[in-house]
Amino acid sequence: MSGKHGHKPFEGHMHDYMAHIQAVEEDLEYYRAKRFEPRVIYLLRRGVVTFYDLLKVRATLKKQERFFSRAKPQGKNIEARVRYLEEWLDEYVKGIALVSARTVEALDMVTEDNRKERGDYDDFFKIKKKEHHGNLEERMAALQQDLSDYTELLEVFVQALIQRGWASRKELAQRWQQLHEERPWAGGVIVAKAWSDPEFKRALLATGREALREMGVHQGKVGKLVVVENTDAVHNVIVCTLCSCYPYDILGDTPWWYKHESYRTKIVQNPRACVKEMFHLEIPAEKELRVWDSTSDVRYFVLPQRPAGTESMSEEALAKLVTVDSLIGAGYALEPAEQRAREAAHAEPEMPRVRPD
Amino acid sequence: MSDEQKFKIGDAVMVAVENPDGNPRTPKYIRGKRGVVAFAHGRLENSRDHRGIHDPLYTVRFDLSEVSGCRGGDTVLVDVHEEWLRRLNADA
Repeated sequence: MSGKHGHKPFEGHMHDYMAHIQAVEEDLEYYRAKRFEPRVIYLLRRGVVTFYDLLKVRATLKKQERFFSRAKPQGKNIEARVRYLEEWLDEYVKGIALVSARTVEALDMVTEDNRKERGDYDDFFKIKKKEHHGNLEERMAALQQDLSDYTELLEVFVQALIQRGWASRKELAQRWQQLHEERPWAGGVIVAKAWSDPEFKRALLATGREALREMGVHQGKVGKLVVVENTDAVHNVIVCTLCSCYPYDILGDTPWWYKHESYRTKIVQNPRACVKEMFHLEIPAEKELRVWDSTSDVRYFVLPQRPAGTESMSEEALAKLVTVDSLIGAGYALEPAEQRAREAAHAEPEMPRVRPD
Repeated sequence: MSDEQKFKIGDAVMVAVENPDGNPRTPKYIRGKRGVVAFAHGRLENSRDHRGIHDPLYTVRFDLSEVSGCRGGDTVLVDVHEEWLRRLNADA
């Protein structure tokens, strides 16, 4: 059974506005420099779309033709303004998914093409990420401007693809709607079932995707799944040192720090110091710390230990104890008292939603 | 393409230092390092991520002290394709 864990600054309750803003800043730069711009450059090189197409499209774009539009914040208080920026980021990320190879098949791009183009194997190709300075208000204003600028390029790129005949407006509109039909995070129900059903747990650890198929969890087509179990003897941590591989198709997007170079380099240089510094997690000396580096076609998540005092809990209640961090190894599952305290304080974090494949 | 895998669980292996035509997904911190095969996954298909099918894939266990300056009993397990692995002799 797991022990107590400390406060994790990376999980950000809404009173820690700077942590929320930092998360949006980091994620926005990641999605721009690693997911969107390399894709554009790849296509520019091949003449699929040119710089001049982008300029011309922007000059003649009509308001009613635009895919992306921004409503105003839902309120003037700080929570509403932070949420507004978070939701805008989410729309930007969906917009990038809109122009992926799965939508525009003629583009014939695989993930490996994008990895080369963004400098995963050669620093020469890396795209510089922006640095952030100033107080909270200054950073929020800058973030809003960045979101506006980056979304504008995305809009123009989508329109250029349509103009050049690579995609139809109708198909993109359908796909845009599909991208908003997200699924709930499956991490909680999977772990709760593994804790409650020994046969399912055995199958999950031995067969990965097959066990989830039988459970009815929706999955995409992303290689093999291996689930690794935390025990009294072993604590597991997951990383992708080369980029940010993760079982996205089951668990949605990763926390921003999982994709950040600091985590990806430190976790294999000094894992104990890294988890202590980043997550306030002190692994007992008698436990082995095992770091799993997902470099290829296998994707991993951690089966956390079942907390003490949960023997009589239903699967539904157990699922609420499971956190995103605990499936990466950056934390333990919640103790029932911790979960009750969060619920009482209305401080439960929102789980990532899973986008359609 | 052969279905046979060159290595099995428990084999002592070393990661090649250089392999210019090899799969680029072999991180620098394990090159030239020694480990033990922990799992043999065979050939995996992942047509979304890359074209074609790569060489068989193995999860190789390294002592943390082998790949970093740290002491202690911790381990790092990295997925490595067959073309990057060399068999170590029993007395190596």
